[in-house]
Amino acid sequence: MDEIIQRIRDNFGVLREHRQRDDLAEVWIEPRHVLPLLTWLKEHTPFVQLTHLSAVDWLEDGEFQLTYLLTDPVGRRSLMVAVRISREEATAESVHTLWAHAVTYEQEINEMFGIHFPGSPRQGVPFILEGWDDIPPMRRDFDTVEYMNRHHPSRPGREHTDPRRYIGQVVGEKGYLHD
Amino acid sequence: MTEQTALERRVQLWFGPQHPGITGNMAVQAWLEGDTLTSGVTHVGYLHRGFEKLMERRKFIQSFPIVCRICVPEPDTNEWLLAASIEELSGLDKEVPEKARWIRTLFLEMSRLSSMLMVLGGHVGAMGLGTAPNWLITLRDYILDRFEELTGARVYHMYVTYGGVRRDLPEGFAERLEANLQEIESKLPLVDNVIFDSAVFRKRAIGVGVVPEEWVDELGLTGPIVRAMGIARDTRTDYPYEKYGELDIEPMTTTGSDIFARAWMRRLEIAQSIDLIRQILAKMPTEGPYSAKLPNMLTWTIPAGETYVRAEASRGEMGYYVVTDGSDKIRRVHVRGPSYVHGVTLLERLMPGTNIADLSALMVSLQVCPPEIER
Repeated sequence: MDEIIQRIRDNFGVLREHRQRDDLAEVWIEPRHVLPLLTWLKEHTPFVQLTHLSAVDWLEDGEFQLTYLLTDPVGRRSLMVAVRISREEATAESVHTLWAHAVTYEQEINEMFGIHFPGSPRQGVPFILEGWDDIPPMRRDFDTVEYMNRHHPSRPGREHTDPRRYIGQVVGEKGYLHD
Repeated sequence: MTEQTALERRVQLWFGPQHPGITGNMAVQAWLEGDTLTSGVTHVGYLHRGFEKLMERRKFIQSFPIVCRICVPEPDTNEWLLAASIEELSGLDKEVPEKARWIRTLFLEMSRLSSMLMVLGGHVGAMGLGTAPNWLITLRDYILDRFEELTGARVYHMYVTYGGVRRDLPEGFAERLEANLQEIESKLPLVDNVIFDSAVFRKRAIGVGVVPEEWVDELGLTGPIVRAMGIARDTRTDYPYEKYGELDIEPMTTTGSDIFARAWMRRLEIAQSIDLIRQILAKMPTEGPYSAKLPNMLTWTIPAGETYVRAEASRGEMGYYVVTDGSDKIRRVHVRGPSYVHGVTLLERLMPGTNIADLSALMVSLQVCPPEIER
């Protein structure tokens, strides 16, 4: 793993890196290096599998993070490649030419976060949501409670229990779940 | 026949979302020429409840009732993955007691066993065999009896928690579980006879739905689908977690990579699970705490970090990508279920050329669990 990270440093540049476990490391790189780096990892290293692709909304920083988890199934280790992109632009290069199932990940991220992957085959095609008329729901500024109150208002006179008060009674002042 | 007339002969057929041959609520939009599929698209969205979003708005402890609903036949892998990822990011993993780790391993293997019994039954049920599913669901019920005794619930257990498990094994639990295992074992030869010796099953399963080996890395395939082509990959042995590293376990494999091979893999792994449960019960310490002392769950904050934790569900690799930001809630969680690839990309690739009568058998052989696709 150390040797591969060193080669990534030398050839692509690493903004930040972190070793979570012996079998899991993470490197943050610049957006322009995503496709070249992932191509190199797939073609020239044992990290041949794309295990998943995820997005994280860092609303306070005005950025999205895309995390590509690559796995070396023979060496039994994984490498997370993370990239921050502008929240305003919300566009990233597609990797579906490297891994066919990336189409589904990119389709879902497009729907749930509003990040566009130009050239990816199912951009704009509904994956889970149909007829969605609000901002992409996995964005941090999407207010689930406000949406629910607007679309599914509570019936007048309906009782409900504040979970904070209920859990407080069960846990007690000590704050332990067990004696 | 001109191209235009060929197109005119194409029939579009919606298979699901409510159909006995569909695994859960999902749909396949299929196009046929005659009774042969020319292409198909998987449609999900019927079970979406926004679990990942819900977890961003709840304290860490409040996510357990959410995650178990991600897969009905096998909810426990989700409970463990949530606990393990948060424990790793908080440092609590160093305090999980020895006995709790053994109980968790037992719990996870019981979960795999109950799931495989149900799925093997569902598998052949979708192919018109009616007897074996009834037997196998009954055998699964014995394991659900033990889950009910252990956790108070038959399906959604909410038993694993941060730092350990919620309660110790009841007195005499191991003996009652052993009696259940013997009962299950006694019926398995009958199951073998009506499934794997059945001429109908063999005719419809052998050589059908073959997954080529070169797709494994290209699509990130895992679990019984991969082991059914002779590749010995198993998260329990490749990335040992809890007490799997202390058990005598080798990945089971077979060859053929067709519907028959995947069903046979499940049968092999049922036997393996029974063996592992016995090993766990023999090695598990009888004394000791079953949970670490937990911080106040209403005020618990976790340092910023990211991790990916994986486990072997009965369908393949299940993983949780979790991001924390130093607050009292999960910043982001991505549930990576094996069905995400197996039920969409792989299934869509396998459909062209498949006979419509084989579509159900193909889908169940991939063991697609729709809620883990949409979360």
